[in-house]
Amino acid sequence: MQTSFADLPVLHGLILPAVILFVLTTAVFIWFSVVYVKKGGFGHPDDNELYIDCAWFCEIGKRPSQQDSVYISPLQDYHKYGITALVADGMGGMEFGGEISEKVAGFVENMCPMSFFASEQNADELRRFSNVLYEEYNLSGGSTLAMVHITGNFMNYYSVGDSDIILVRNGTPTILNPRQNYMALLIKSLCRNNKQTQTAYSNPKARSLVDFMGNKNPRVIYTKKPIRIFDGDKIIVSSDGLTDAVSLRNLTRYLKDTAASTAVELKHAVAARKRPKQDNYTAIVFTVKRSLL
Amino acid sequence: MIENYILMHKGGQEEYRDSVFVNYSHALTMAILYLPTEAEFSVADEASVQALVQASSKMRFTDLSESIYPILTNLRNYMLIRIDDNTITIERHGKVFAYIVQNGELKMLPNGKTSLEDGDRVICCTNEFKRCLNDLAILSDAVVSDSAEEWMDNMVCRISDKNRLSEGNLTAVTMIVRSGD
Repeated sequence: MQTSFADLPVLHGLILPAVILFVLTTAVFIWFSVVYVKKGGFGHPDDNELYIDCAWFCEIGKRPSQQDSVYISPLQDYHKYGITALVADGMGGMEFGGEISEKVAGFVENMCPMSFFASEQNADELRRFSNVLYEEYNLSGGSTLAMVHITGNFMNYYSVGDSDIILVRNGTPTILNPRQNYMALLIKSLCRNNKQTQTAYSNPKARSLVDFMGNKNPRVIYTKKPIRIFDGDKIIVSSDGLTDAVSLRNLTRYLKDTAASTAVELKHAVAARKRPKQDNYTAIVFTVKRSLL
Repeated sequence: MIENYILMHKGGQEEYRDSVFVNYSHALTMAILYLPTEAEFSVADEASVQALVQASSKMRFTDLSESIYPILTNLRNYMLIRIDDNTITIERHGKVFAYIVQNGELKMLPNGKTSLEDGDRVICCTNEFKRCLNDLAILSDAVVSDSAEEWMDNMVCRISDKNRLSEGNLTAVTMIVRSGD
């Protein structure tokens, strides 16, 4: 006498769930394998599928007005054009600092989407706009410019003046952009003469800017070749109101996993210092993470 | 063409003791000698190395290396560099380092030959120079600079921020590969 599956009610009830489980497991395995092969392995440094988490703050400090301006390109365009983020810090003590920083932010907004591979042309456009500002304001105001443009796993940056572009990698923060102030000139001169540089730091004019937006033909510092960014990197574009209050050495204390929580921590850290002459302080924070999708 | 800029700064020391010897014939040949404060090196030996580098234009790199090695055996910290056509050859001993900017990263140059392309940026430096800078700082200063001199100036500012150029001798060479003659 033969026995069929239909005669085994317990087994028969298990077949369907087992088949579904098998199909699901196989599908998930195939999906992971395809993603793994496509990426060349999870965590591979060539991974193009980095995603950016972004947050910002722009605080007035103890100043009577806000002279910092911010621009962040639309995040929904990230996969097509990358992301562009700018901090412009109006020069304090000058009549039109705030107005000029707003105009710089507006100009950058109009430049977007900008070509990632035309950094020289982008820098030229910024320089020409500075000449327009020079004609309009005749040095009665100025603004810094610190801007990053991130696409895939590469970053370009542009800088005029002394705002900061900080890249934190493996817990070590590094200010990327050279500062265009009088101190840099003094250090260069002392170094040429084989001297030490203490006097450069005690010079009362050391922090005066030698280039800024609103100056005629300013030197726009820009990356001739992009810098590679990696999973875990954090990028902070900020006005000096932040870095004057929170030193680079202490910055790592306030870095959290997400951009939003890092921005909140940094903002609170500056406020907690209660500096009586706290300048406007502004920062855009990016965290770079690898996407599994 | 290789555009280069050489920094030889005495730092906070009485005198500059490191040495950089360069021969700008059809191939660029260079020797960087790093003398930490405890190192001893005779003037005669230094002159011998200089003479060898000056006479090295028609010498193979391996021959130059073999000629210099006995003189510098006790020094331990030196680097020989030759840039010929589109390749750089280095031989590193001890705490003298060479890095190249490639694909958005700063990579240490291994001993031996490495091919160069137009726009490549290379730095050779002593440990005293490098210890004040991290890789990102060197990389960032390299990619924004128009010239080898500007690249060096930017890095010197960073070192100055840390120690006011008041410590050991600072020795480094920045190089940018330019197309054409």
